[in-house]
Amino acid sequence: MKPMEQPADIERRAAHLKDTARMLGLAIESEQLVALAAQLCVIEALEGAELADAPPILRMDADWHD
Amino acid sequence: MTEPSALVNLGISEAAAAIRSGATTSLALTEAILARIEQTEPTLQAYATVTADRALAAAERADRELAAGHDRGPLQGIPIGVKDNCYTKGILTEVGSKSLEGFVPDYDATVVAKLYAAGAIVIGKTRCHEWSCGGSDPPTRTPWDLSRFPGGSSIGSGVAMAARSAFGAIGTDTGGSIRIPASINSLVGMKATFGRVSMHGVVPLAWSLDHVGPMTRSVRDNALMLGAMAGHDRQDANSARVAVPDYVAGIDAGAAGARIGIDRGYFLYPGVTDDVRSATEAVIETLASLGAEVIEVSLPELALTREAQMTIRMVESASYHRARIREKGHLYSPGTRATLEIGQVVPAVDYVAALRARERFRVAMQALFQREKLDALISPTIPVPAPLRGAEWQPRQDMGNGETPTDGFVRHVYPANLSGQPALSAPAGFTPSGLPIGYQLTGKPFDEATLYRIARAYEGATTWRERQPPLAYD
Repeated sequence: MKPMEQPADIERRAAHLKDTARMLGLAIESEQLVALAAQLCVIEALEGAELADAPPILRMDADWHD
Repeated sequence: MTEPSALVNLGISEAAAAIRSGATTSLALTEAILARIEQTEPTLQAYATVTADRALAAAERADRELAAGHDRGPLQGIPIGVKDNCYTKGILTEVGSKSLEGFVPDYDATVVAKLYAAGAIVIGKTRCHEWSCGGSDPPTRTPWDLSRFPGGSSIGSGVAMAARSAFGAIGTDTGGSIRIPASINSLVGMKATFGRVSMHGVVPLAWSLDHVGPMTRSVRDNALMLGAMAGHDRQDANSARVAVPDYVAGIDAGAAGARIGIDRGYFLYPGVTDDVRSATEAVIETLASLGAEVIEVSLPELALTREAQMTIRMVESASYHRARIREKGHLYSPGTRATLEIGQVVPAVDYVAALRARERFRVAMQALFQREKLDALISPTIPVPAPLRGAEWQPRQDMGNGETPTDGFVRHVYPANLSGQPALSAPAGFTPSGLPIGYQLTGKPFDEATLYRIARAYEGATTWRERQPPLAYD
């Protein structure tokens, strides 16, 4: 279910995040940005088949058993 | 009249009955709680603000109203604590942040207004982590063990309830912040269905994950409080138009016939300590002996919840705080600021993918509940007893994979924030050294009543709620 994170993807992502953080003037530890990169790689890898038919909404129904 | 020291140990229902029988008054209850606060606060520091004069005046009003035959129900004249991220008109609301120092709202959060309308008395504002996230270190300590992590971010609400310095308390829960301190402080904490309780006037952490709910020492008290807090509110765009039942009405109907799922692969993974594992298995056995049907289930989509929840939380928090940080960023502690800013670097497509992952998870959860005709999922609330203070962010020595206690917390509590389902934590026992252990029930949307019924049946079969933390701190 949960995709494996690929080190090269994490590295690529982390580099982008560090650039963005620098551009925005944010003081965020490199370690935190690498962890975020790994997190986003998992999310990105879900796109496609895993998230097909999953719109970005939160639907609360009271009729789960109906 | 009941002795003041005994008064603080009463539950809401018992205190309400004592007022009506003439055994006590709201004023006596309020004075007893204030005395308890005076005794415990130097050590425990559960409260950011204590509103003694207002509370005493409100207690006198409640007694006058009741004497005149105006009975608002069981919360009338009962002192409660309110987490300091809830707006309270005329009362300091600082959310643990220097950037809000001296802030006094000019209106009440809807949930506070509803509790006032039910006659409850606000005894004070309970401490929380800065902006309700984990980047700060409040001075609050749990009476169960001063050296242990007391839970968060509804840290003061949890400790006030454990210390008997409130009869009920409000917490908020974006990623377990009601259920974690409830588990650590041997309490009942309910994160009701998303939209069940209005968030209007509650300082957000992440709009689409935030919940506000009651923390109490018994299941019945929790049901009483939720009944007063819940309901549609036009001022909250996420508020649900779903009728609120009488949560207390069927609470003693027992657990017989309830279908309860357990995903052992996910919720009893190797990171669950032996004492928490045995306590959870004992809860399951007891519920089965009470007539519940416990079913082995597997929900692989649970593995998606951490990344999706964190991505959503980061981006929504960053959006709420961006303008304020521009102006007052120097007044945020560095750790909190980084936690609240990091979402600025998340690409929009990843935020949307995280929202889609949430929907994927919710659909899978719904399918599981439908397929197995489940009333609830059961799990330990958190996989470990309270770690030593400061160790909650350190890798566990018994794991060897870098997992921290906090990693384990979020594994168990995030799913219900993500799906919006109701989730309740209640006492499951104690470790041999006396640290509380909690179990969690996750239910169908808007079916909090079933969780209360199951939890009440278990509570009635055990004596956990009779145990008290040490009452003196020398």
